[in-house]
Amino acid sequence: MKRTLGVTALACAGLLAATACSGSDSGGGSSSGPVTVTVMTWESAETNAAIKKALADFKDDNITVQLLDTPSGQYGDKLASLTQAKKLPDLFWCGNDTEQQYTSQGLLVDWADKIKDGDGDFKSDNFVSSAMDNWKTADGQMGGLPSLMNTYGVWYNADAFTAAGLPLPKAGWTWDEMYADAAKLANKNGAKYGLVADQLTSPDGPFTMSMYAVSAGGAPFTDNVNHPTKAEADDKYTEGVQKLVAAIKNGSVAPPGYDASNVQSLFAAGKVPMTFGGQWLAAGFQTDKPKVKYGFAPFPQVQTPTTLYDSVGICTPQYTKDQDSTFKVLSYINTKVWDAVLPASPVAPPAYKPAQASYFDALTKAQQSTVADTVKADLGAEKTVGVRFTTQWAQQVGDLTTANYQPILSGKKPVSDLPAYIEKINGLIKQGG
Amino acid sequence: MTLPTEAAEATALTAGTEPATRAPARKKPRLIGTTSWYVVAIFICAVMIVPLLWMITIGLKSRTAVFDIPPKLLPHEWTWSNFVNGPKAIHFPRLFLNSMIITALSVFGGVLTAMMAGYALARLRFPGRKLWFYLFVGSMLLPGVVGLIPLFQLYKSIGWYDTWLPLIVPAFLGGNPLFIFLARQYFLAIPYSIDEAAKIDGAGHLRIFVSVMLPLTRPAWLTMAILAFQASWNDYLNPLVYLYSSGKWPLSVGMAAFVSPFAGKTPDWSYYMATNLLYMLPPLIIFFAAQRYFIQGLGALGSTNQK
Amino acid sequence: MSRVSAAKTSVGRRSARGGMSRNAGSDVKAAYLFIAPAMIGFFVFVGYPLVRSFYLALTKYNGLTDPVFVGLGNFRRLFTTDPAFWPALRATGYLVVLYVPLSLILGLALAMFCNQRFAGVRVVRTLAYLPVVLPAIATITLWKFILDPQVGLLNTVLDRLGLPTSLWLQSANTSMPSVVLVMLWGVGATMIIFLAALQSVPTELYEAARVDGAGPWSVFFRITLPMISPIMLLQVILQTTAALQTFNQPKILTNGGPGFSTNVLMLSIYNNGFPTLGRIPQLGYASAQVWVLFVIIIAVIALTAKFSSLWTYSDTSD
Repeated sequence: MKRTLGVTALACAGLLAATACSGSDSGGGSSSGPVTVTVMTWESAETNAAIKKALADFKDDNITVQLLDTPSGQYGDKLASLTQAKKLPDLFWCGNDTEQQYTSQGLLVDWADKIKDGDGDFKSDNFVSSAMDNWKTADGQMGGLPSLMNTYGVWYNADAFTAAGLPLPKAGWTWDEMYADAAKLANKNGAKYGLVADQLTSPDGPFTMSMYAVSAGGAPFTDNVNHPTKAEADDKYTEGVQKLVAAIKNGSVAPPGYDASNVQSLFAAGKVPMTFGGQWLAAGFQTDKPKVKYGFAPFPQVQTPTTLYDSVGICTPQYTKDQDSTFKVLSYINTKVWDAVLPASPVAPPAYKPAQASYFDALTKAQQSTVADTVKADLGAEKTVGVRFTTQWAQQVGDLTTANYQPILSGKKPVSDLPAYIEKINGLIKQGG
Repeated sequence: MTLPTEAAEATALTAGTEPATRAPARKKPRLIGTTSWYVVAIFICAVMIVPLLWMITIGLKSRTAVFDIPPKLLPHEWTWSNFVNGPKAIHFPRLFLNSMIITALSVFGGVLTAMMAGYALARLRFPGRKLWFYLFVGSMLLPGVVGLIPLFQLYKSIGWYDTWLPLIVPAFLGGNPLFIFLARQYFLAIPYSIDEAAKIDGAGHLRIFVSVMLPLTRPAWLTMAILAFQASWNDYLNPLVYLYSSGKWPLSVGMAAFVSPFAGKTPDWSYYMATNLLYMLPPLIIFFAAQRYFIQGLGALGSTNQK
Repeated sequence: MSRVSAAKTSVGRRSARGGMSRNAGSDVKAAYLFIAPAMIGFFVFVGYPLVRSFYLALTKYNGLTDPVFVGLGNFRRLFTTDPAFWPALRATGYLVVLYVPLSLILGLALAMFCNQRFAGVRVVRTLAYLPVVLPAIATITLWKFILDPQVGLLNTVLDRLGLPTSLWLQSANTSMPSVVLVMLWGVGATMIIFLAALQSVPTELYEAARVDGAGPWSVFFRITLPMISPIMLLQVILQTTAALQTFNQPKILTNGGPGFSTNVLMLSIYNNGFPTLGRIPQLGYASAQVWVLFVIIIAVIALTAKFSSLWTYSDTSD
């Protein structure tokens, strides 16, 4: 070992300028003098351009804001490599699960105190409260702040519904109605399936299925996605699975394994009559201009409206150079940047409530009123379920789901195998502590 | 005993001058044979080239036309601007230059060090020669992923993260064992009397290597250069993992920017395919220019253990 | 070029038994100077990672905090509890069994096809090699498009010809064959090495066989195959090693799905070492998987080599 290290040191010194072999940088704390705050997003080139423009208006003599380019297609790989190299930008887009896991590793700056008191309007009371709760770790830390809310629902092709003589989906419709519609829409006009529901059939599927159980008065798949104590599949949950299995079997719902990566374009081309999806598709449709009339409805229900949502946010590594400056930029992004970006590209409602107006205005202006209504309904829904575990062993749950849950959906295993799958998840929960 | 490479070169040389002149004894079966050969040839060419032609048509389509159903083989309207706007979107000239520098350096380093090692293993007598040959050949079997995790941390700890060094330096350290193997095989086929003659003239190993051996082994190092060029130009995972600043990216990483699954964006397939075409050009040109030597150089593999 | 080969033909035979120069002392120094870069490379890029990853395989390590030694815990989890491991092995095996023979047969057939004297043979040869030259990421992405069941080229063409279409990558039954299909599009790499081998078979042998009245099949089995057997073995080994390490195709085409049907070992390793968006990597566990893969490769190669003498060192002059 010693020898190899010597060899590399030699190669490093010999082959290259000494600057390349510079030592590690010191981090943390605050410093005086001008600082550069770096920002990295997973947005598209267009959205990034809008963000860059908005950031240019940030005025502070000591702070320069720099937006880093990154190939958004591989944001995950990029983030993993930056994390390992301890070179995370001062502010980077992150999911709730990233925030939870990284915070538990002590990687992120804890903003909990700063945001609680907050100066001016920028304080926790002004954020969507469920998002704030989800971003807190078990011991009350916040490794980042939620920025945008993701709500989910059903995108439908209104033309296809009209042609088939079906009423358009709207708040309060039921799961049975949805499956019945899907059966009627399947195999018509170039559409293979009536409904593509990646959220139900992907490795996150078991969590989405909670909506059915909770809406019917049953228990969700897990009590808490951040700090679970158990997973369960009660009678109502099993009933929901059975209905989905039947719908997949008769060909009205796309089976697990369906590649959903182009589903948005296929929907826009009129070849997928119904698809589960996030509100963010609206922004894409606004530029792509689908040939069909479409709408966005809340998820179906059994008895009470139930929905699924999560939030994305912005995190800061604990080795950021100047916490105060970084926080200034962070608050600028949350309070000002969305107002500039969302009108052109209404991606998602901000978690910072005062900034939500510009999102809904943009949707109304673009005549996407069904989207605005559904997002508002979702944000106001009382019963919500998490989309996936955010724990460190979440990856292993994904494998278990692929091995045990998806075969149930595609009919390769009986629904009676469900308890065995749940038991394995509970085993992981117990092990993970 | 014949040296296999002689035959290889003989045929390779004649292969260049095509028209078949064989005794026209049995004309009819020959005609059938010729016809069926061309039918198969057309089929092979079609399989290889139709996907690429289709790529060009996607590159010419407008963004949403890509998803028309049923798909149209030819674009409805020809969007030539994709070939301008696509490259512009990723700062093509800059990334192209980066790719060129990284590739040129790693080709040079990879070929040079492999030739040096091959020369020593094939033509010099030294203790440990067998051992080193086995070690080099054996390392061909090592899955590349073994290195990914430890090397990433090594580079990071010596400050090479976000530099081109992890992409270039390994080449200068005999990065590709297959090349060493190929070089050794090729050197083995060269008669020793040549070195002896040079030695009588008072040449040292360095001079023999540079002014005698390098010219003699042109097919071998051209072959390696082509392979090394392809490998480096197409490498995606390493630059993605090691390069952080977008100003340092090679083209392969820049290409990925088109295919964004986030935030409600349809991947820009038409920009992607249009830019792809430009990205593919350099390896294509190099291959066409040097393909004659390429097959000759690989001939050395054919002589593996007939000696 | 012609000067070189002429020189070789004239002196080749004489010197072949002459052996190498005998200037031992300076040779040793020169030799080590010549292989020094490759030696350093071996220590840094082969030796060090091997040792380090073996150590990591025995630890729980996420790259952020110090590794914790867990003994054989990772291997225990691999072989007993991990639901993804056995399917990954099965997928890898299926891929090798499907890809290696097909690649060799098609490659050899294509090489023999291109080794004939027809006008235009160079065009065919060049086009057949073309896919190898092109960036893998680009061509694989292209194929993902071609294989799309709804908008893809392949189903469109099959449909117009009145042939049955398929779900290709999106069904657990056809996903692996589809991945192999995409890999086989690059069969030019196999072809070109076979072609080089075929061209080194002395033509006199064929002529002699023709005089003896041997048919094309017996020429193939009695002359061509034996003459190219060493390269065949090399190809088997190279292709098997490469197939066991297939990564790009499943990563881009299916990301392992549907289910575990194309989740080959390399992909599983990658996903554990560099997991999806912002999950904590399991580097220790991934290293354990790497070692399983490594052992499998060594075992497969050892078995292949056992039935041959390829890896016997050719230097018999000492």
